[in-house]
Amino acid sequence: MGRTSAKGRRNAVRAARTAAGMTQAELAGQLGVARQTVVAVEAGDYAPSVYLALAIVGVLGGSVEELFGERAEVASAASGKTATKE
Amino acid sequence: MTVEQNEQPERGGDGWFVTAAAVAGDLDNPFYREERQRDVWNEAAAIGYQVILFLGLAAAAGMLWIGGEPSMPYAVTLLAVLGIASIISAVYAARLGVDVDESTRMLRLRMVPFLALLILVVAGLVRVAPADGFGSGLAQGAVAGAALAVLWLAVKWIRARRRTSGAGPVSS
Repeated sequence: MGRTSAKGRRNAVRAARTAAGMTQAELAGQLGVARQTVVAVEAGDYAPSVYLALAIVGVLGGSVEELFGERAEVASAASGKTATKE
Repeated sequence: MTVEQNEQPERGGDGWFVTAAAVAGDLDNPFYREERQRDVWNEAAAIGYQVILFLGLAAAAGMLWIGGEPSMPYAVTLLAVLGIASIISAVYAARLGVDVDESTRMLRLRMVPFLALLILVVAGLVRVAPADGFGSGLAQGAVAGAALAVLWLAVKWIRARRRTSGAGPVSS
């Protein structure tokens, strides 16, 4: 149905966060958003605004393209399939 | 058409209506600063608005067809409340450059039950309206308002159909 906004698009936020050794609550705290927002972004249920995307990059490093671009989608999809097989 | 000609002018201030509506809507509440909270609440409010509109029309129709003439003032009051709230919402959106009669919104099957309820309400008003006096005037005014609303919807619907037949969908 018409729920917002990312329409299931994948991203590399979860991978970048775990690589940075942060919990969702810690990332949310640094971004000034609710933990549920981080959960929704990582799950691809919510497309963050450009300002939140830039803030995420500011905390986790890399670039918006690396976290949300096409390659991030492909990499996230591949890791998801691997995890499913395991 | 050049790029300059195609550009929208920069918006000036919000104006008194938008400012007043923002105060009424408590839009500077800190709750709205968290962007996903704001998005989800927007969806929740849209759901609530649609439910209120549908149930309100159904209640007005029920009052008129079951309660008869004595319940007419209550039904008209309910319709007035629904109408004023809807007009405020539409004007607020229009002032901020969002056209609520945009074709993808209008050309929906979900409009059919709304229109059916509206017709039921108008027919109920005609049925129970007294022959003269204040109640008669009230009913005539409500019928005229409802007829104008249906006419407005029909015109928008036809325009939207013409637009969509001339151009493909914009969104993915």
